[in-house]
Order: sequence, then C-alpha cells, then structure tokens
Amino acid sequence: MAALSFFAAKNKVCKPNKWASALLIGLLGTGLALSTPTMGRAQSSSETVPSFVQDGTLTVCTNPTLPPMTFIQGSDASKPEGMDIDVVRALAQRWHASLSLITMDFTGLFPSLAAQRCGLVISGIIQLADREKNFDAVAYQETALTVVARANTPPIKSMAELSGKTIAVQAGTSYAARIERENVSLAAAGKAPILVQQYPTEDQVVQQVLIGRVFAFVSQDVELYYRQKQLHGKVRIILKPDYQDYRHFAAYLRKNKQDRALLSQTIAELEQDGTLAKLRQKWSLSSQAEQALTADESSGGFNWQSFFSALFSAAFLKGAALTLGVALLSHFIAILISIPMAVALNSHKNSALKWVLKAYVSIFRGAPTLLQLLFIWNALPQFFPIFREQWFTPFLATLVALSINESAYQVEINRAALSAVDGGQELAADALGMKRKQVYRYVIFPQALRIALPPTINEFISLLKTTSLASVISLQELLAITQVQVARTFEFTEYYAAALVYYLAMVFFFLFLQKRVERRFSWADRKKATANAA
Amino acid sequence: MQPNPLPHGSPQPAQHPPMIAVHNMSKLYGEFVALDRLNFDVQRGEKIVVLGPSGSGKSTLIRTFNRIEPHDSGSIIIDGKIINEKTSLTELRCMVGMVFQNYNLFPHLSVLDNCTLAPQLVRNVARKDAQEMAHNFLKQVGIPEQAHKYPIQLSGGQQQRVAIARALCMQPEVMLFDEPTAALDPEAITGVVSIMDTLAEQGITTLCVTHEMAFSRRIADKIVFMDQGRILEITPPEQFFTAPQTERAQNFLNQMIRY
Ligand SMILES: Nc1ncnc2c1ncn2[C@@H]1O[C@H](COP(=O)(O)OP(=O)(O)OP(=O)(O)O)[C@@H](O)[C@H]1O
Ligand SMILES: [Mg+2]
Repeated sequence: MAALSFFAAKNKVCKPNKWASALLIGLLGTGLALSTPTMGRAQSSSETVPSFVQDGTLTVCTNPTLPPMTFIQGSDASKPEGMDIDVVRALAQRWHASLSLITMDFTGLFPSLAAQRCGLVISGIIQLADREKNFDAVAYQETALTVVARANTPPIKSMAELSGKTIAVQAGTSYAARIERENVSLAAAGKAPILVQQYPTEDQVVQQVLIGRVFAFVSQDVELYYRQKQLHGKVRIILKPDYQDYRHFAAYLRKNKQDRALLSQTIAELEQDGTLAKLRQKWSLSSQAEQALTADESSGGFNWQSFFSALFSAAFLKGAALTLGVALLSHFIAILISIPMAVALNSHKNSALKWVLKAYVSIFRGAPTLLQLLFIWNALPQFFPIFREQWFTPFLATLVALSINESAYQVEINRAALSAVDGGQELAADALGMKRKQVYRYVIFPQALRIALPPTINEFISLLKTTSLASVISLQELLAITQVQVARTFEFTEYYAAALVYYLAMVFFFLFLQKRVERRFSWADRKKATANAA
Repeated sequence: MQPNPLPHGSPQPAQHPPMIAVHNMSKLYGEFVALDRLNFDVQRGEKIVVLGPSGSGKSTLIRTFNRIEPHDSGSIIIDGKIINEKTSLTELRCMVGMVFQNYNLFPHLSVLDNCTLAPQLVRNVARKDAQEMAHNFLKQVGIPEQAHKYPIQLSGGQQQRVAIARALCMQPEVMLFDEPTAALDPEAITGVVSIMDTLAEQGITTLCVTHEMAFSRRIADKIVFMDQGRILEITPPEQFFTAPQTERAQNFLNQMIRY
C-alpha cells in the first residue's frame, strides 16, 4: 500500500504515507529488539566444556508453556523461568558460558536442535529410547506419568479403564505413541481403543478437561503439583501408571559421546553439591509437594480485571506492535517485489523470465504459509549453515517467509490492476514524448493504484492475521503472547478476548483507512468528482 | 542528430525542403505487409487528409511519423532528420503531436494537469509557464472554464478539445489526427472541425485521417488515398472528389456517399 502510493506521491494522492513509514520504522526497531535472544559476554573456555557451547555461549531451545519446568511468569515473553531454566543457568555457570534462551513451539524444538540453532533442548521432555536414536539425552529430574480428570472423577486402576474414552495430550510429546501401545493390548482384548486428541500447548490440553470435551489428560506429576494453584482444585490425578520408560526428564543434545559424558558429569556434580535439590524445593518438585487436589467449586464468569490488565499490559502491547510491524513490513516488501514482477508478467513478450515468475507465483501461492515458515526456519539452515546464526532471528525469518508468500498474491492484484488501465493511456503518454519510467510513474501507476488499493488492503488485513502462524517459529507476536499468558493463568476467555480486541482494533483501523483513501480517487466517478469540486 | 544525407533517388532538392519526406517506406506486422513501399512528401504548412477503406493502413501510416509504430524499411525524414532507431524519441515527439479517436485523456489528472504534465516532464517547462500556455490553448479550443474539471466530467466533444489542447501544449510543428471526430455526435463534430479549421489557418503542418468529406474538401491541400497498405492516389481534393483516377477510389467514394 505504501509502495503503490509512493508512485502517486507526486500527484498528491496519498497523504497517510509519511506517518505510516515513520510508524513502520519504529515498529521494525521494536520487532528486532524483541526477537533478538539475549547475548552475554563470553568468558574463558576450558577443555571441560562441551562442544555445543560455542563462542562462550550456551544456546538452549525451550517451549515455555510447561510450568514449573519452563514457562513465562512475568509479562516479558522473552524471559522464560522454571526448573529447566535454572538447571541450564547452573550448567552455563559451571562452564563459564553465558546463556542464550530461544523460545519456540514444542514441535520446533528437535528440528531446531538438528539445525544447530541451539546446543541443548530442555523443556520438560521425557527421556525416551526412541528419541535417543537421533539425539543424546541426559536425565536431570525424576517424574511420573499421571492421568488427570475433573475433580469429581473417581480414580481408576489401570489404563485399560480408559477404553472408549477420549483423552488429550500435547502434540509432539511421546504420550500419544505410548497410548497407541495401550491400544494394541486393548484391541487384543477385544476392547475399544482410547481416543487421543493432540493440542499444541499444555494449557490447551488442560482446558479440554476443564470444559469437559475430553475425559482426562496425560501429563507429568511435577507439572500437576505446580498447576494445582492455578487450577483451584478443579482436577485430580485419577491414575499414575508405572511406566518404566517414563521416569525422567532429560536434556537433549546432538549425538556426541564426549558432550554427553561432560553433561552427565556436570549434572551429577550439581546433584552432589545440592544445587538441584534447592531448585526442586524452589519449584515444588520434591515428593512431599504432592497433596490431595481438593475439590473446590470452580468460580465461573468473566474476570474483567484480568481482561483489562491483559489489555493494557506491556506484553500485549508489544505483541500487537510486533504483529503490526511484521505485517506492515512484509507487505511493504511484498509490494516492492511484486510491482516489477507484475510489469514483467504483463509485457507482451514471451520470455524465459516470464516462466520463472509464473513458477514463483504458483509455488508460493500453492504451498501453505505455515509450511513456508517452517521450511525457512527449520530446513533452510540444513542447506545454508549461515541461517542458523544469531542474526537470523525469528523476526527476520518471518519477514522473509511472509514477504515472499505475500508477493505471490500481490503480483496477481498488481497485474489485474495494470491490465485494467486502458492501452490508450500508454499510447497517449508515448505520443507526448514521455520516457518509459515517466509513463509508468505518472500515467499508469496512479490509475492502477486505484484499482489495486481495495484488494491490497484486504490482503493486508488477511496478512495481519496470518502473522499469528509465526508463533511456531517462536516469534513473540500477539497470539504467541496470548498463549504464553494463558499457560500461566488458565484464564482463556479473558486473554483471548484481549487479543481479539487488539486484532479487531487493527483491522478496523485499516478498513477506515481504506474508505478514506478511496475517497481520493473521485476522478473515476463523475458524481463524486462533481460533488468534490462543489 | 547526424547530418542528413538525401536518400538516393530522391527528387532534386526543392528550394524549401519538405517537412516530411517518405521514401520507399514499408511496415510489416510479422508476415503481413501493412505499409508497402510508400513515397510522398509533405511540405511545410501543408494539410494532408488520408482516406481509405478500413484496414488500409491509415492509422499505421500516421503512427510511423512519431514512431509509435517503427517502420521496417525505406526512410522517413522529418524536418531534415532521418527517423530511425537512433532518433531521439523525445525530440521527435516534441515536434510531432498526435490526437486519437478515443481522446485518451489521463482520467486521474484535471484538464489543466493533462495539458501541463508532458511539457513539464518532457520539455522541462516551468510549472507556471506550462499552466499559462495550457490556459491559452484551452481558450483557443473554446473551453477555458473547464480547466479544473476531471475528464470524466466533460462531454466527448469537450474531451477531444482538451486532447487537441494537450497536443498543442507541446508546441509541435506537425499535428497528426487519427479520426478525431469518429466517436462524436454531429454537433460535437462541428465544434472540433472548426477548431481544426483554425489550426489549419495558423499554418501548422497537418496529417489527418478522417471521414469528414466537407472538412477534407475545404481544408486539404492534398488527399492521400490508400488501399491495402499502398498509396493509390495523391491528388488535390477537388480532383479527388469529382474525378478520382482509380476505380478503387471511385468505389470508395460511392460507398461513402451511400452511407
Ligand atoms: N499491432 C498489429 N499487429 C498486426 N496487425 C496489425 C496491427 N495493427 C494493425 N494491423 C493490421 O494492419 C492493417 C492496417 O491497420 P490500420 O489500423 O492502419 O488500418 P486503418 O486504415 O487505420 O483502418 P480503420 O479505418 O479501420 O482505422 C490492418 O489489416 C490491421 O489488421
Ligand atoms: Mg485507424
């Protein structure tokens, strides 16, 4: 939008231009600041430091939605806390390294580890033989699997009693596979299988039980102890199946015998000197923390105070600014790319370039935006190691993915707009001696702009909402912020409502802008032109 | 511009060199011969009306003069300058103005801006001077009061007057008209034709494709009659309308009279 109005600037068509670009630059700054992981100064390295500590920095990937292991407590979404975070902090200290934390979706953790985006993954992840085929694991915390249902549900004696019932688990965890194994034995016994629903975050898993959509969820005991407070006794543990292979949380690293040995040694040291014991106390992980989950009557209703404090919180404001910034900037770039592309595609000559452009448009319109984001973030570093370096932030990756994706759509809009301009216009401008550039700038673009603007603003509004996909590559935009906050408080309705207010406010603002800008094109409508002149 | 050697086989130089000299000029669209080895001169200040059936190449011919359609062989010399791929298009188009059947005004610009855009961009005329000149020409074409309207607010006849004023603002030495009245109703035609009469009296070299017989008779110094990409006759209008030399022209005139 800003790009197209640039061409019309000489003709005084679009005034919102100046402050829009100022806003844009401001937002870009915020976005970069928000998405850059904290970097400390490297200290002296020694030979007892594992190789995944690079340049004096231990980089760790985590999905901060699993309290008390790793979660966001305050309003700063880039600062996860919890047992896991304290453990890696202690490790970094032992190794005289500074700590850099990268937060992302759970499903992104292992791909990021493989892509060398981080040296360690710690995120309340169970130590599993399956995972150890591809990665090394070192345990640091005991745990047990639990099956949790609503508070008034009677306890059950075995997993078999869940036959025919639906349970919720977090996507990317190993619980689903474990239940598949239960289902094999259930099938052998001629019973109905346990049905599984998978959700991207732990809080959504819990929410399914709270709203009664599923019978129970599967989680770890430590997590539940912590969540007691939040859940106000709304749930209880109905079963603790004793699975041999579900007893430890582990930190994961890329396969490397020496690194693995160094890590276990350091963790053993932390265990011996009481560091880990202290941390367990701090995060209520010790066994005496287990209490009966008392059955309270849940207090329903909308908590207006939470809603307003979320609405005016710095975290939401930052998230919204980042959403808006990413959307504006990537659309701006998309428009810049797409204008020459549209001009080339509209030319009468049949060139090889045209085929390349057509392929570009087809590919990037054809592939799901989510896939493109994941590809750029997780697959690209495997081909080009340069993309796993610190400068390639989630913000930048989102910008690249969305700009390319959006340009493929914008090309079609521009192309339609350009070909809607009567051919006689170019002819007349040529006959008046204007140069090619002048013909486009003063005659064709201003007319194409009028045709392109309404669909462009529609595209932008849709893009504004598409940015929410970038939470999968750990961009802390509005929806990601909302989810982290929900994980902390379980106040779904209030936080979703606050996010909705932000999205609607932004969308309505741009719809309003669209109306205002359209009024400037009165030359295309006889009645309006006359009314304006009067 | 390079010095201009006279093409071989051209008639001996006259005292006043012609404004436009066309020699063996051809134009192809792929295999199709749109203009076939044309030869004729237009003297300074002369008024030429080009006639011919539809598809005979009239538009193509006049478009070769401002190189909107480049010719493929032979030569065109305008005001002593050879027109080819080395010609500065800016210079050429400052010298040769054009008016289209469909006006082709810029709808997003006011009448005044339509007239001042190209002089400012191409001739580097200062904005104020361009506006003053535009007002003069708008007065001359009889619509000084419409300067601040948008094209869409004008009638067809008024739009064509603006188009003429816009072309004149470039101060051309040659004016090309391609059926300027074909899209107008009879009353508007009268207005536009009277403007063209005035222009003709001012002595600007004019090539005009038109079906306005009365105008051609009154104004034209010569009629160029074309068919299938060839010039069949170049004659004064009196002779052309009363006693055409070719049968093809006779048939054409008969049809013109019938419809
Ligand atoms: N761009 C083009 N490509 C191919 N052929 C063309 C092109 N432009 C014109 N022609 C052909 O050249 C011939 C001459 O066309 P031109 O437009 O000059 O005719 P005209 O005499 O102006 O006709 P009319 O009176 O209908 O305007 C026609 O047969 C036309 O089909
Ligand atoms: Mg024609």
